[in-house]
Amino acid sequence: MRVRKRSTMAALAAGLLVLTGACAEGNQGAPATSSSAPAASAEPFKPPTITVGTAEDSKGPAIEPEGVVRGGTVTMIDRDDFAHFDPGQSYVNTATNFGLLIHRGLTGYKRVAKGDYKLVGDLATDAGTVSDGGKTWTFTLKDGVKWQDGSPITSEDVKWTIERTFAPFITQGPTYVQQWLTEADHKKAYQGPYDGKRLDAIETPDDKTVVFKFKTPHADANYAFAMGGYAIVPKAKDTKEKYDKEPFSSGPYVIKSHVVDKTLDLERNPNWDAATDPIRGAYPDKWHMEFGQEALQITDRLMADAGADQTAFTFYASVPPERLQQVLGDASLAPRLLKSPSPYGNYYYFNLDRVKDVKIRQAINYAWPSKQIQQVSGGPAAAALPTTILNENTTVGYEPYDLFGKTTKPEGDIDKAKELLAQSSNPTPTIVYAYNQTPVQEQVTVVIKSALEKAGIKVVAKPLDRKTYYDSIGLVKNEFDLYWGGWGADWPSGSTVLPVIFGPVADGAPNYAHLKDPALTAEMDKITAMADIDEANAAWMALDKKVQETITPLVVAENRIANILHGSKVGGAEIDPQFWIVSPNTIFVKQ
Amino acid sequence: MLRFLTRRALGAVVTLVVISAVTFFLFFAVPADPARLACGKVCPPELLEQARHNLGLDQPLFAQFTAWLAGIFVGRDYGGLGHCPAPCLGYSFVNKAPVFETILDRLPVTVSLTVGAALVFLLFGVATGIIAALNQGRPLDKIASVSSLIGFSLQIYFVGTLALYFLVYQNQILTRPQYRPFTEDPLAWAAGLALPWVVLSIIFTANYTRMTRSTMVEQLGEDYVRTARAKGMKGRSVVMRFALRGTLTTVITIFGVDLGALIGGAIITETTFGLQGLGRLSINAVTDSDLPVLMATVLVAAGAIIVFNIIVDALYAFIDPRVRLS
Amino acid sequence: MSTPFLSVRDLTVDFHTEDGVVHAVDGLSFDVEKGTTLGIVGESGSGKSVTNLAVLGLHNPETAKISGEIRLDGEELIGAPRSTMERLRGNKVAMIFQDPLTSLSPYHTIGRQIGEVFRRHTGASRAASRDRAIEMLTRVGIPQPKVRVDDYPHQFSGGMRQRAMIAMALVCDPDLLIADEPTTALDVTVQAQILDLLRDLQEQTGTAIIMITHDLGVVSGTAHEVLVMYAGRAVERGTVREVLGEPRHPYTWGLLASMPRLSAPVDVPLLPVRGTPPSLINVPPGCPFHPRCDYTDLAGPELCRGERPELSPHRGHGDACYLTLAQKQEITR
Repeated sequence: MRVRKRSTMAALAAGLLVLTGACAEGNQGAPATSSSAPAASAEPFKPPTITVGTAEDSKGPAIEPEGVVRGGTVTMIDRDDFAHFDPGQSYVNTATNFGLLIHRGLTGYKRVAKGDYKLVGDLATDAGTVSDGGKTWTFTLKDGVKWQDGSPITSEDVKWTIERTFAPFITQGPTYVQQWLTEADHKKAYQGPYDGKRLDAIETPDDKTVVFKFKTPHADANYAFAMGGYAIVPKAKDTKEKYDKEPFSSGPYVIKSHVVDKTLDLERNPNWDAATDPIRGAYPDKWHMEFGQEALQITDRLMADAGADQTAFTFYASVPPERLQQVLGDASLAPRLLKSPSPYGNYYYFNLDRVKDVKIRQAINYAWPSKQIQQVSGGPAAAALPTTILNENTTVGYEPYDLFGKTTKPEGDIDKAKELLAQSSNPTPTIVYAYNQTPVQEQVTVVIKSALEKAGIKVVAKPLDRKTYYDSIGLVKNEFDLYWGGWGADWPSGSTVLPVIFGPVADGAPNYAHLKDPALTAEMDKITAMADIDEANAAWMALDKKVQETITPLVVAENRIANILHGSKVGGAEIDPQFWIVSPNTIFVKQ
Repeated sequence: MLRFLTRRALGAVVTLVVISAVTFFLFFAVPADPARLACGKVCPPELLEQARHNLGLDQPLFAQFTAWLAGIFVGRDYGGLGHCPAPCLGYSFVNKAPVFETILDRLPVTVSLTVGAALVFLLFGVATGIIAALNQGRPLDKIASVSSLIGFSLQIYFVGTLALYFLVYQNQILTRPQYRPFTEDPLAWAAGLALPWVVLSIIFTANYTRMTRSTMVEQLGEDYVRTARAKGMKGRSVVMRFALRGTLTTVITIFGVDLGALIGGAIITETTFGLQGLGRLSINAVTDSDLPVLMATVLVAAGAIIVFNIIVDALYAFIDPRVRLS
Repeated sequence: MSTPFLSVRDLTVDFHTEDGVVHAVDGLSFDVEKGTTLGIVGESGSGKSVTNLAVLGLHNPETAKISGEIRLDGEELIGAPRSTMERLRGNKVAMIFQDPLTSLSPYHTIGRQIGEVFRRHTGASRAASRDRAIEMLTRVGIPQPKVRVDDYPHQFSGGMRQRAMIAMALVCDPDLLIADEPTTALDVTVQAQILDLLRDLQEQTGTAIIMITHDLGVVSGTAHEVLVMYAGRAVERGTVREVLGEPRHPYTWGLLASMPRLSAPVDVPLLPVRGTPPSLINVPPGCPFHPRCDYTDLAGPELCRGERPELSPHRGHGDACYLTLAQKQEITR
């Protein structure tokens, strides 16, 4: 999944992941008091269905949203300009979401209906053909797909695109495909095509066909190719480092002008053919984007909905805490309010090197004051309470479970906790809880402390500086027992979550629990190698439950809900549940 | 005067170099690693090393600093990104542009914002301060005192957000704050900045009213003002030629400090009104750990404060002959 | 008898403050003739300066309540419009202040400060005003006046500054010059020079001078008549010879005793006036000096605490005290 640029940068600095910025922001910003949170917005969100589409599904044009109107200019307002235009450097969701307007990949997600998505061929005729037990993937390019100058998009461009991601200057994009083609340290195996050396593992038998030969089976490779980081770059127009400033369009629009951090204007790409594109509606003739306004100002503009702002929306600016209750309480805003819970997994990790007794870890899970945390985070409209490690929005074949009574006793089951503690090695343990020192986190800490102390657990709270939070908890030899961290799936499968958060233990690596279990590792390797994707997805889900049941390396944390407004003359605005950002694909301007 | 200016200019250069060095080394004293930002979501050590190399962060610190310093005078080469001509303040990998270009792009925004607002709050603040002082104890004075107290306790963030909502978003009485170059369209320039000017002025005027009033009251009690009246000078001339002169010294001191600080970055104002000036740039540079931009914004801010200090000192000499001749 | 050039009658100046009404001047009367000098003597807070600022109309009308009569050359000044006062000040009536450093503007040249008075009242050109300033500086004895005219006050010595002040006061040939402690801030040799200068100028121009001072020595050298003030009132009045030679009021005695004299033996101690000046908000009833006076028993305590004594006789050498003339002569003998 993708990351946001600036706010997340601090998080990324820790070498971590993605979404922490988004989550951290949610944790920082929510209002202190929330007793006034309207109960109405507590209705459960339905997770999306994501399936693999057919060749027929992969044909253009895109399915139109209801009441669609073509033409006009739509305005998009956000705080930050896009971090990257070069797909090879794009990982954060804001960059890849914008990429949908100017870039195309081999595959992509087609919206069939609200909450119903299909993985389809984008430039490819279908979502790929797998052979050799999952090791070989073959894609055939559609007829009539062209670059902005009218030249055809070829299999050589696809091969070049993947090869250039090995180059030294590419350091920020996804690395899955590269690792599958070569080895874990892929930069050592190959340094890119610029010195004339090519990568044999990618074959282009003809202009339309490209074949990837992986070292091991990867049944979900077609999902990986849907990542914005693997959108295609033209060999003829590749300017290496500079491409990040001057991308060449294969999508429905071209950049007409761009003033960094201020404005960006798009106009139609005459060589994009809607008939080849099942994903992008591209209904407005022009896009005008403005950067530099804070979420508060953006929300105020969209609330006022006056004049030209009626045709404005925002990709990412969520209603800030100081306006949330007002926005939720105003029924007239409801038709213009989009809501979606975070697709990220947020956890309070136990440091297994220090909290060794599973009974204690489970007791803490039972005593956990989820409801109180939800309240201080802004109430049910601002935070959801998931119970599983894998996020329902990003897990095909999601199966809910609730091991610690979170649904029935969201305020915590102190009796049950005490009971478990009595059976444990230490009925009155001391837990060192490290937290990111922000106003809201201070409050959350108080809530956690008081709940755990009711169960007889002494909590020592250690505030950590915001800028170095992830560096501190990322140290293997840290002095803490419990701390918050997050991770986002890169495609809707446990394969991009569990093997990462329970992967290698190293300083800065995302395995914050320091979970080292050979049996678990073997199990994960087995599922990764499964050739049948449905079987693999079911196995990931089962493993999720098994880990929480037998090891309990973490407490599943509260999950922020995004609330995003749009102007009254903007149609087709929807938060993509998987990417947690308003999709450009269905946007149109009402007359 | 020339000697004074030369001496101060040399001092300024030394100060700026010292400030740059301190900023530079402090930046690396913080544990956060800028290379992490240029490294993906999964950032294994090899990739981190690559990112560090790409950013030139694998060089010894001192070499990095001297390269940066030398770049200002002779320019620098950035491999695949090309040459950064002198004065090269470095290349921002976040903005993907030479820093000097970015500074040149942002400086006019902040200068327009600041200077425009400064003119309003200086003139308005001094005028109301004089009126209050001349009407000491009367209702007019009380009104001025109370409103300046209110103005003083207001926050740009608060007033700005309210003003935006009611005057711009809701009723569209004023155009949305935005920067249009003066040279392109003076009218659009003024219209786009009118609201920030007014809001910034509301906050700052208060201070100038208070200060002008109290200094003026003090000055009106000075012996030489009494002498002027004893000489038969007319009331207005006493105020404008004698009392105001002494008041200006104090006002100019504070004004110099305020202006210097504002040019260094009206961070809150720029953030509230979504103007991309130096203040915004510096905040982004901090969150992005964008060292070259951070250095440049610190330099500009320090430079502005130094320059305005020199101007203030020179103005002192102009206003007060005792300074000039001693 | 012709009307005096400056005639002050029953002048009362009250200041309204947060603590109460300050009776700074309370029923004061005096005259000054052209070509003569009146010395006004008294401790700080006796109302000397307040009186003279009232003559110039420099009190803030918001806070000062002034009643009585001040007639200058027959023209009533109390309640005169501001423009009238502005026309008179610096022109017909001029004032020299105590501290020439603070009383001159630090921001303007000496020449400009002198010249602008002339310009203001005569409408002369800038150049003519400058010439007049040089002329005045020459008259008050500033060396190299053509150069020094462009100097700023801080470039002058203390004595030169006071000379410049005098030049500024005399630039329009005023009929009345009020000198408020003109030599207090200066050292002794310079004091004498300044007083000589004032005397010479008076001889040349016939200006009336009011010399405010706490220093009886200054009075004896320059004044023709003396007015001794205490707590906003006149307690003794007469010619210099009368008041200094045959002082009649116990307060005057006290002042004289507290002053060093060259003629007195060195071993005779100086006797400061006992006690402190009264609060002008709560002026003691009767004779305001009675709490500090050694002779109330002699004069009769009821008398001293009862009615306020008037100056008597009404003309010539008069004093405000209930002691009889014989008692006074007995004491001073």
